[in-house]
Amino acid sequence: MAAVKRLKRVAALQPGFISFKSSAESDDLNSGRRKRVNKNKKKNWNKHSDIQDVEEFLDDVRLQERATGGLVSEKPDDTLFFVDIGEQKKGVQPEVQERKKGKKSNSRPLRIDLILQHDSLVPPPKDVLAHQQPNAKKLRRIAENAEKLAAMGVLPRRQKRLLSRRPATKTSKAKTAANNFPDRPYYDLWGGEAEETADPYYLEQTGKSRVKRPEKLNAKPSILPAVEVIAPGGSYNPDFFSHQALLLEAHEVEVKREKAELRIERQLAVKQEDTATEETVFQEQVEGLVEEEEDEEEEEEDVSIRGGLQQEKKTEKERKRERADKIKSQQKQAARAFTDKKQQLFQLRSIQATLKRREQRTRERVAQRKANQEAEKSMPRRLGRLKFQAQDLEIQLSDEIPGSLRTLKPEGSVLKDRFKSMQKRNMIEPRERAKFKRRHKVKYVEKRAFKEIT
Amino acid sequence: MGGLQKKKYERGSATNYITRNKARKKLQLSLADFRRLCILKGIYPHEPKHKKKVNKGSTAPRTFYLLKDIRFLLHEPIVRKFREYKVFVRKLRKAYGKAEWTGVERLRDNKPGYKLDHIIKERYPTFIDALRDIDDALSMCFLFSTFARTGKCHVQTIMLCRRLTVEWMNYLVTSRSLRKVFISIKGIYYQAEVLGQLITWLVPYQFAHDHPTDVDYRVMATFTEMYTTLFGFINFRLYQTLNLVYPPKLDSKSESELKAEHEEDYAMDSESYLEKLSALSASLARVVATAEEEENQLDQFPAEGEDLENMEAREKEQKEQEAQNRLFEGLKFFLNREVPRESLAFILRCFGAEVSWDKSLCIGGTYDVTDETITHQIVDRPDIDKQYINRYYIQPQWVFDSVNAKMCLPVEDYFLGVTLPPHLSPFVEEKDGDYVPPEKLKLIALQRGEKHVQDDEEEDDDDDEEDNDEVDDEDLTEEKNLKKMEDQRSQGKTLAVKVTPGKVKPWETGSMGNKVRLEQEEKAEEKRLAIMMMKKKEKYLYDKIMFGKKRTTREANKLAAKRKAHEDTSKAEKKQKKAKKQ
Repeated sequence: MAAVKRLKRVAALQPGFISFKSSAESDDLNSGRRKRVNKNKKKNWNKHSDIQDVEEFLDDVRLQERATGGLVSEKPDDTLFFVDIGEQKKGVQPEVQERKKGKKSNSRPLRIDLILQHDSLVPPPKDVLAHQQPNAKKLRRIAENAEKLAAMGVLPRRQKRLLSRRPATKTSKAKTAANNFPDRPYYDLWGGEAEETADPYYLEQTGKSRVKRPEKLNAKPSILPAVEVIAPGGSYNPDFFSHQALLLEAHEVEVKREKAELRIERQLAVKQEDTATEETVFQEQVEGLVEEEEDEEEEEEDVSIRGGLQQEKKTEKERKRERADKIKSQQKQAARAFTDKKQQLFQLRSIQATLKRREQRTRERVAQRKANQEAEKSMPRRLGRLKFQAQDLEIQLSDEIPGSLRTLKPEGSVLKDRFKSMQKRNMIEPRERAKFKRRHKVKYVEKRAFKEIT
Repeated sequence: MGGLQKKKYERGSATNYITRNKARKKLQLSLADFRRLCILKGIYPHEPKHKKKVNKGSTAPRTFYLLKDIRFLLHEPIVRKFREYKVFVRKLRKAYGKAEWTGVERLRDNKPGYKLDHIIKERYPTFIDALRDIDDALSMCFLFSTFARTGKCHVQTIMLCRRLTVEWMNYLVTSRSLRKVFISIKGIYYQAEVLGQLITWLVPYQFAHDHPTDVDYRVMATFTEMYTTLFGFINFRLYQTLNLVYPPKLDSKSESELKAEHEEDYAMDSESYLEKLSALSASLARVVATAEEEENQLDQFPAEGEDLENMEAREKEQKEQEAQNRLFEGLKFFLNREVPRESLAFILRCFGAEVSWDKSLCIGGTYDVTDETITHQIVDRPDIDKQYINRYYIQPQWVFDSVNAKMCLPVEDYFLGVTLPPHLSPFVEEKDGDYVPPEKLKLIALQRGEKHVQDDEEEDDDDDEEDNDEVDDEDLTEEKNLKKMEDQRSQGKTLAVKVTPGKVKPWETGSMGNKVRLEQEEKAEEKRLAIMMMKKKEKYLYDKIMFGKKRTTREANKLAAKRKAHEDTSKAEKKQKKAKKQ
């Protein structure tokens, strides 16, 4: 206690010390009764010694250092005081101007920045360890050692292991460029290839060799040429007759189409008998009201007759006669067959002739069938729901023929020609464009905004 | 008796086929992917012979595939790629939905792709196989390269197609293997002979397409994807055979020549090279600098009898071929603005001509209109203001017709403002006795080296006052000729086609003629005897053949007569018009 008091006293009595705070409460501290405590233990000592005045003093010192950058008592007088010589007119005016400018330019710092600014005048402590390195000596030694080894040509183990590692295969990472990349490279695909030396069974089982393409797959599905040249009448400046021939061909196609259309129309037409007349309408209206009894009676009679026939029984005599008749007819037939056979001996020539004729016919049929099969090879097959439909013949009428190449107007589309050609050669099945089908019905709702108006 | 009852549709054709939907499920692919896979692998649907059996009693039309084909497809590594792609799309969609943009980027970086090289190798085991099937690829690539870049198909595909077609044209120019050209109303048909294979393709005109709606663009794009791969490999190989650099490079000499000062006006830097290549006016760089033309002689083998004849024929053919290849060599052409530049430049260059065009038309023109050494200028307008005296002004059809005729046709028929002779199809080959249009007859005569003594057109235009009886005379003689021709043909002789009446018949002059005549008579006698000695069966066949021949000749004659009538009427009309004018 005494020590504390002494310290306080020392602090307060230090020559020239100026405290920031007024020491009004110091009286209050001294006024309390003295408490007697044993201070022979550290705990007690800590608990009962009064260090408030020292702390206050130190706080004050720190505050002074923060606020003014040093103890006030140590500062020279001219930093603390100034001579008041009244208002300075010169100094005021530029300040006002500046303030106006500031408002205009809005260059005043934000308040938040001001708050966050470092306002202590105590400089931050110097980092002593900034230029020191822990374990510097050891590291230096290691580095020296490594340098020595490198000079000798010995690589450290880590590096050695890295070097010995295989480089990552680039092909796995390399992207496969798109097939339509305009500058894609090509190479000699059919050039000599290294013979595969490994066991073919092993290659096959591990999926390393490709399955061989069956020879049959290389056959073309049609014997038609890939590019069918247009008839000579399709020249831009055709010969008169070939042009006429082409026109005739196109005409025939058109006639055929028209015929088919007409036929359908005819089939769809309503028959004269099917149209309702007054009579039929009346008949329909009275249907079932007038009973027709006659028909029913007839039917009943029929049934009775049939039933009567079935019930009749054959007598023994009749059966015998029937049997005899049957045997007789069989004998007659056999005799007839025998004589016929005999007679055939004399008909040999005519039989031979018929045989020949038959053979001839078969031969003709075989030839015909073969020809048909041949022709079928060049025909489009039925490959799907739709039949192949040839595109319209490209023609130009006589008055459309251009006099020169400059005035030529191309007919038809090459794209369509290619597409149809592929269909014709059975490479793709004929299809029609998929129609857009709505899965759910569209629901129409009038918006409220519109509703109000209408 | 006994045994289990055999179940229906468990053996036979029902087990050999599989419906499309089942196949699709077996491969775990969507329909679009399945279709793509089938196109790429060259597996086509198959029509079964007995549909009802295959379809398990139902007659509903369906698409069937052979089961073995589908089993083969199961081994294809691309199927896995397709599935991967499906998953990729799903993930991408999810990432988009969650607005995970980094995820989207990562997924896009790892987009799965696939190659078709192994499929090409598998489908076409040798180079010649591939070359045989290139018709389709060519037509398709030429078609796609003319598409506008409007999003109907991928722009990259269009660019790739353009590159490949330009490479192909450059190859043909260097190897001089173009044979026939036919300008039709649909497009231009070309035929080339590459390594012994006749290759035909169709090139659409350069005008804007109307995109037909009933064509499945996805299918076409898949075909194109396959064909571009195939085409590229073929191009590489072809360039290799000629020792050319692939991808094609312009000759250093011609490159410096083509260096125009306003180059950047034409195209961007990246595109101008392709443009220059597609101009076709310069030759290509070679791997090994060799002499331009190597005279490759046919190997001589000792041969006898028929072989010798064949050999001679072949040699002759080759000589003709070479002559055709040099058709336009030494000629200098200039293309006017209104003619189709690309096709004409391609054809002319294919036969060794020098071509140039206006600077404003395209990059790569090597000389100007004012060049005095130009021999032909191709013009397609009724009249031209400033004409140079030392060059022919001809219409573009001359080039095409000359190529088809394998000789330079007389330019008079193709001058400016002249009504052109019809453009005949070179793809038609008339058989013995078929109707041959008179233009073609004239052409054949020209090819034989005969000068056309009398020209119908000239007659029409110039000699109006010609006597009528002379015309009649001519008609009579012509008819006689026709009759004679018919007789000769029906006798089965090979006919020497003559269109020049009034020429002195060789067998009517002196002893030489007599000898020839005697020989012919002898031959005819022999033939008659041979006919007499025929068996009944053979005779029947022979008669039949002869009857058929006669019929065709009769029809041909009818057509010829018709033509004559047509011409007469038109002539008369013309005369009337002229008379009216006067």
